[in-house]
Amino acid sequence: MSTLQGPRAPMSHVTTPAGERYDGAIDLSKVRAAHHALYEAREEMTADGNTAAALATLQMWQCVIFAGFPITPSTKYIETIASKIAADPTTKKKVKLLEAEHAVADYLVGAAAACRDLIFPTATSSVGLDHMTETTRSLGASGLGNVMIVNVYRATANFPLCIEGDPSDALAHRDDGFIQICARGKQQIYDTVVQAPCLGMHPEVMTPTMPGYYGIKDSHRNARLVVEPDREIAAFHDRWIRPSELPGLINGDTAFGNCVTSRHFQGFKISQKQRMERVLDVLPKLGADFENYFGRPGLAFFDAVGFPDDGEVDLAVLSMGPDFGTFEAIREAYGKRTGLKVGGIAMRLLTPFPRDAVRHKLQRAKVVLVVNQAHHQGRGHLTLDVADALSDLEYAPRLVSAFAGLGGADVSEPTWERMLDFARSAHEGTPVAPYAFFHEGSLL
Amino acid sequence: MKVFDLRRVLASSVLEIRGDGKAGGGLVLAFQSLGNLFLHDPQTHVQEWPFFSSARRGANIRSFLRVSQKPVTAVCEVTRPSLVLLMDDGAANAIDFAQGVPSGGTFVLNTRRGPEECARHYRLSGRVITVPGDDIGTKYLKHPIGNVSAYVTMALAIGGFEHDQVIEAFLRMLRKRNVPEAVLARNREALSASFGGIREGEYDCCGPGDHLSQPFAGYGELPTGAQTALRLSESNRTAHFAPSGFRLRFEDSNDACTGCAHCIANCPEGIIRFEPHPELGVKVSGAQVSQFCKLCQECIAVCPEKLFFRAPFEEHWQEEEITIP
Repeated sequence: MSTLQGPRAPMSHVTTPAGERYDGAIDLSKVRAAHHALYEAREEMTADGNTAAALATLQMWQCVIFAGFPITPSTKYIETIASKIAADPTTKKKVKLLEAEHAVADYLVGAAAACRDLIFPTATSSVGLDHMTETTRSLGASGLGNVMIVNVYRATANFPLCIEGDPSDALAHRDDGFIQICARGKQQIYDTVVQAPCLGMHPEVMTPTMPGYYGIKDSHRNARLVVEPDREIAAFHDRWIRPSELPGLINGDTAFGNCVTSRHFQGFKISQKQRMERVLDVLPKLGADFENYFGRPGLAFFDAVGFPDDGEVDLAVLSMGPDFGTFEAIREAYGKRTGLKVGGIAMRLLTPFPRDAVRHKLQRAKVVLVVNQAHHQGRGHLTLDVADALSDLEYAPRLVSAFAGLGGADVSEPTWERMLDFARSAHEGTPVAPYAFFHEGSLL
Repeated sequence: MKVFDLRRVLASSVLEIRGDGKAGGGLVLAFQSLGNLFLHDPQTHVQEWPFFSSARRGANIRSFLRVSQKPVTAVCEVTRPSLVLLMDDGAANAIDFAQGVPSGGTFVLNTRRGPEECARHYRLSGRVITVPGDDIGTKYLKHPIGNVSAYVTMALAIGGFEHDQVIEAFLRMLRKRNVPEAVLARNREALSASFGGIREGEYDCCGPGDHLSQPFAGYGELPTGAQTALRLSESNRTAHFAPSGFRLRFEDSNDACTGCAHCIANCPEGIIRFEPHPELGVKVSGAQVSQFCKLCQECIAVCPEKLFFRAPFEEHWQEEEITIP
């Protein structure tokens, strides 16, 4: 950090309830000036998901230290960053390869608390995220919205070991206190990572972010990507990221693990929950501004397809991740063949779950088919969220729960058709099981 | 049988391509470069991705590519490709690289053999194109890596690209990986030489039951702790993940085994054969190589008497028929 420090003259020492503050210890204008633009103009390329996420963080002038520890399938994120930094010997940016993921999370805490105007990203997967847990739970409550953990989804159970995309790691960490946003496709990954700090560092929110995408299916899948010039990303951030109310270096009481008694604990948690709930207000505004600025869709609660203006559909699918694209590819043909109106939504915002928006979108569906792709001991993570969202409707749609694609298994077109048939039988009044597994066009 | 034009497939729907090879053989780079080749046309959308198994060098891997004039939304695996690539003969030992290809499809093989021999051996109906990519790699890159030639051959099979365009798209991918100029120059030579090594023909050797997609037969019984059971199952022969062209051999004609049991303890697959011995405790007699040996070479490394070693073989070409498990 010393290479990025400004002149000592303007530094002042202030004692605050949040700790000892050393205003001016870091000259942000110098940090900004020291940034070497990766792209001077808008450029098109083919890239995989890890590269898209890495480029987005490398282009942010506020990202100066990249702490990390490699784990499949997120490894290429830190590899890409390291290779770009190594290729520019004059850059002041650093990669900090640590002993393990727990150390990475601890490092993020220290660095992010020390300077709340900079952004500290890393990427991890599966048991890497599990290993961070002791610290991510603290981070979630910390107010350090300048921490971003890019979660490359991978089955979290280590027996049997599986390196492929399955969001069970993200869904097992719903209560860590991070804003969790699922992206699918290269462009959405890039755009999501660009927007995430605007959300997390918003003064009403102040909550760390966890943008994520499916391992292998998106992390290793190449497609066309448009990257924006660094100066435009900085200009967009300037519209949303205000100087922290706790500027400069902070020392002292920002240490984690402080003990409070029951007299105060609940109060902290209520405050944390309120900040998280404000995401539901801020995110749509941020997404709309992004679209206005860059001309591509910005953050949203979900992607929707096939809903008419009145919202009435016979069958609505709710899922997440890239496999939803296969559903999109067959949706029209399936609807024509069966004579049903079929719509679908792919969740983007996982935490906090946008209950009201989901309820509003699905309230006029006759049947809702929820496709879960992570191991769950009940009817499925998403199923429970949707059941909660629909619970207070006078005439709630019938809820059908499916599992498919666990461990990154292929969700083929015949599998989607079989799941839709399963939901169709519920539409026709046939009793269906509380949940069912599907693979290769079969109900298992 | 009518061979179909891949450019027409692309113009009317989605051109789907699949490749099979071994990890470390450059299959992914070949597919990434092919996807990159379409980038000059802003109306063309590509989607390229690999499927890894145990992700170690020598393991079977697959690559997929979809190309379309419309945005590609489907992300499921390609099951009826119009063009397939067999990058490594050894990969065809474990999978049917031609599975699901409609009659009249295009088959690209990285091999020294001619198209007719390959069409008969693998029972292919359609356009069969071969290129001795490993030989070209050995000559120009000092390494038997055929991905450069396989990429060129696929690009020519699709058609519509200029010679220089094909070369530059591949080199662009290498530059993204910060490959030094000297290596780029050697790759340029290998790319150019590949154009001259391509042979092709049209054949109709596929029988009615060949290369059909197998329906999903369920997972069977997977008892608690089933990783071990999977390893022992007939359908998950881990020997298929071994580097192609070699086999583990055990020879103890001088009765030199000391019964130290290091090989037994270190073999991750538990396939070392041994018998009780009154003086030594145990005596090693070999290993169950054909089914489960991944050729990790642990036994070779630990045996104090050097009784294990790697030996070359070309088993799959010696067989009269291909056996698909």
